[in-house]
Amino acid sequence: MPKCKINGQEVEVAAGSTIIQAYKAAGIDICHYCWHPGLSVAGVCRLCMVQIEGMPKLQIACNTEVKEGMVINNTSEVVKDTVKWGLDFHLINHPLDCPICDQAGECGLQDQYMQFGKYDPEMAEAKVKKHKVVDLGPTVVLDAERCILCSRCVRFTEEVSKTNELGIFNRGDRSEIGTVEGKPLDNNYSLNTVDICPVGALTSRDFRFRQRVWYLKEADSVCPGCSTGCSVKVHYNEEGLWRVKPRENKEVNGYWMCDTGRDTYKFVNLKARLLSGRIGKRDQWQEISAEDATRSAGLKLRETVQKHGPDSVALVVTGQYTNEEYKDLLKFFTGELKSKNVYHWLNNPEKMKDFDGLLFRGDRNPNTMGLSAALAAHGVSSKWETLQSQLSGRKLKMVVVAGPENQATFPDMKEKIQMLSQADGLIWLTAGLNADLNQVGSETWQVPLKAYVEKAGSFTNFEGRVQPFKAGTTIVPQALTLSEAVELLAGRDLNWALRPKGLGGPKTNYAVTQRGTL
Amino acid sequence: MSSLVKRPSGVASWYLPGILGGLVFTMKKMLTNLFNQKQMPTLNYPEQKYEYGPRFKGNHVLTVKKDGSIRCTACMLCATNCPAQCIKITAAESEDPSVEKYPISYEIDVLRCVYCGFCEEACPVDAIRMGPEWQTAALNGSKFTYDIQQLAYRAQLKGGVVSVLDDQERHKAGI
Repeated sequence: MPKCKINGQEVEVAAGSTIIQAYKAAGIDICHYCWHPGLSVAGVCRLCMVQIEGMPKLQIACNTEVKEGMVINNTSEVVKDTVKWGLDFHLINHPLDCPICDQAGECGLQDQYMQFGKYDPEMAEAKVKKHKVVDLGPTVVLDAERCILCSRCVRFTEEVSKTNELGIFNRGDRSEIGTVEGKPLDNNYSLNTVDICPVGALTSRDFRFRQRVWYLKEADSVCPGCSTGCSVKVHYNEEGLWRVKPRENKEVNGYWMCDTGRDTYKFVNLKARLLSGRIGKRDQWQEISAEDATRSAGLKLRETVQKHGPDSVALVVTGQYTNEEYKDLLKFFTGELKSKNVYHWLNNPEKMKDFDGLLFRGDRNPNTMGLSAALAAHGVSSKWETLQSQLSGRKLKMVVVAGPENQATFPDMKEKIQMLSQADGLIWLTAGLNADLNQVGSETWQVPLKAYVEKAGSFTNFEGRVQPFKAGTTIVPQALTLSEAVELLAGRDLNWALRPKGLGGPKTNYAVTQRGTL
Repeated sequence: MSSLVKRPSGVASWYLPGILGGLVFTMKKMLTNLFNQKQMPTLNYPEQKYEYGPRFKGNHVLTVKKDGSIRCTACMLCATNCPAQCIKITAAESEDPSVEKYPISYEIDVLRCVYCGFCEEACPVDAIRMGPEWQTAALNGSKFTYDIQQLAYRAQLKGGVVSVLDDQERHKAGI
């Protein structure tokens, strides 16, 4: 374990680590572009210069190992001057079009330029023009002029996704990132190149120009896209979620996440959500508050159990809720209603074990493990076929469904809704809108639930790792967590004062909304 | 209970001297204005209008490029800088790769606007200016949300004000 001194601070690092890793471990800022903790060392940007006592010239921190007793600094005038001129070189052909660049606000070049930059460039030659708005693939757009050729994206496709789509073409100041003809950047991890791009050269087609990043707030969460459960950051404002990005977690996802997981913000936003409770059946819906809808469903459910016995009701659960919610739900159903008719709704049983070798798994539910464990703990071992026979035999009076939050992962929604609506009454707890659900013929209660960013809880991933997460923002103010819905179904009261208030869209100005009535 | 208000004394209730004084003053002013109209401090407003200086901050103008399309690049710096939060921009991707980003909607809520001119100051491409117009009456409040049509192409601008910063020229100069 070599010890060294960084900017006057004693730091002990693991043997074989580089100086830049020591800087990161000590939490001291160091300027860099091409180095990324998840990729190999390239040493091309020449900005992580440090001064080491006893060495005549400056060294790059990313490719120099820490040796016992090294005295290092990156605050001396020599280092600052070197970084300044290094930046001037990087900016020779950079268009400096920050106003229309999506990276502005989270751009390394912008930050470091403000810290070290030379405000009057001394380049007399005209800037080299390169390709702009190049489609590298279905998800990524390239602006070659903004690229500083750090080669992070090239190394990513080479080392992490192992698809080798990207390369650097041409020589000298005409070098450009590009793809070979007929082989676009089209893999399930392509958007990671956008995350690691330190400038605005690679932008995501989905997020491009939608929002300025300084208007967005961040919240930590766990991706509900599959059973891997990557650590993610969600970016949101008062209108809803705008994008999902990976968060460093060495145990689970490293620094990456898949493109499929990045779509998990879409089903959370207002357009896709059930906003209030609904009671009725085909074409005769009555909108009431979530609380009232759940209470009325609870009355009917408990009445049915009293009249026809606990076997006349059934519960269907999907693997998209938190461990805590499963506990409350199963306690209510098996303990209070004393029904053993609890069924695990699997969306893709034949693909459950699929794995692409990096992160993405065939089990598209975040908490299948948690649900299985909760079912086992409550002694439930019923088979899906039993439910089918019970339904076709018209034995069930009421079915409670904790439906999928991410409906895109359930390709057979329509058939399953038709099948479940064979029961006389259907209580459908769900976050999302569903057109097929509005067409069912039996008496139905639709209760809006919260999506994953709106509640706290924990998911158990494929390897049994319990990953807790906090609530980020509230998008549908009325929506209940499954635990709250269970409390209301059981006829108990909630402490409404404790519930978070919704953002409810952009602020409305009385003077504006009342206009035209003067 | 006695009143706390002190009643005026008898002298103060002689109102006639005050009224006569006022009439004399009015008469004096009327006569001076009649015989010396050039020095009259007021204007006959709807017919005569006051000329403000060139730095006056009136209603916003969105400038246009030489081809008449809107200059704004939807960078949202004006909206970010706006202390009244009255600017709302929706950006979109342009078909033209040399334009790339442009606003499909640009709305200023002028009833919220405080006419501080920070938007003009923040704009990196001379796309928004505070113009000389200030007479903006309307019959009801719904007329005070200005859109691109109003801001850039209203009749008073006669086809639009051309921005001083041209991208084509900048590119030709190698910047």
